[in-house]
Amino acid sequence: MSVRDLPSPRQGDPPGGTALGWACTRRFEAQPALVSVELLGLNQTLIQLGLPIEQLFTLELVLAEVLNNVVEHAYQDRGEGRIELSVSVHAGFIHCGVTDFGAPMPGGVLPPARRHSPKALALQDLPEGSFGWALIRDLTTGLKYCRDEGINRLSFRIALED
Amino acid sequence: MDITLEPMGPIALLHVVPDRIDASVAIQFKDRFRDLVRDWDGPVVLDLQNVTFLDSSGLGAVVAARKLLGEGRQLDLSGLNPAVDKVMRLTRMNQVFPIHGSVEDALAAHGVAPAA
Repeated sequence: MSVRDLPSPRQGDPPGGTALGWACTRRFEAQPALVSVELLGLNQTLIQLGLPIEQLFTLELVLAEVLNNVVEHAYQDRGEGRIELSVSVHAGFIHCGVTDFGAPMPGGVLPPARRHSPKALALQDLPEGSFGWALIRDLTTGLKYCRDEGINRLSFRIALED
Repeated sequence: MDITLEPMGPIALLHVVPDRIDASVAIQFKDRFRDLVRDWDGPVVLDLQNVTFLDSSGLGAVVAARKLLGEGRQLDLSGLNPAVDKVMRLTRMNQVFPIHGSVEDALAAHGVAPAA
């Protein structure tokens, strides 16, 4: 199970008090079902650490978008390829780093946010995808990408305060 | 994917049982939806009250479901949890669907009394 390597929270700790400085690194294969399991385990652990639910949802959503992009694009849905995810809790934000060994971003840069205006579109022209980078860009700060000797490194922060 | 159909007069009320619609189940969602509405001529209400996580792949599957019904049949959503509502608003896809707070509200909007 995904929560196997994660520390068990002690009972009775004040909310948020034990979370500061918490960090983990996870390695898993690039498959959608494994991404879901990882996100579920991470979310459960961070809830138990007392972090706010709404920000944890934001974290889960952004990680889902980022990791599924790695599965679908960097590794082109091959069903294999290593992903490394590091998450650490700091004062006021959660830092995330995602590393993969697949194809680089197109042109070596992060894709732009695509904004849709559904009211202007005919029903059959409605988008069934390409929502991801707008969500990632809207919900993170400090978003950085670099290609480093065949390795993709993406990092960002999720704010813990409004 | 576990989706159940409850006929409510002219309305097909579809209950999504799992709590996630994400990239790992998006294709199964579309396939199951297609099977359920194949022989249904009326409006469809998708009950999402169990769903606490929707990512962009899941959203894409819900939009695909809307397109599958075509212009002739409506697709309403009901019971959006805060996380689902947030994704719908950020992507502006909330403009595509009539959205109701509950199944009862959705049925009432179509003039159908909820089951006793």
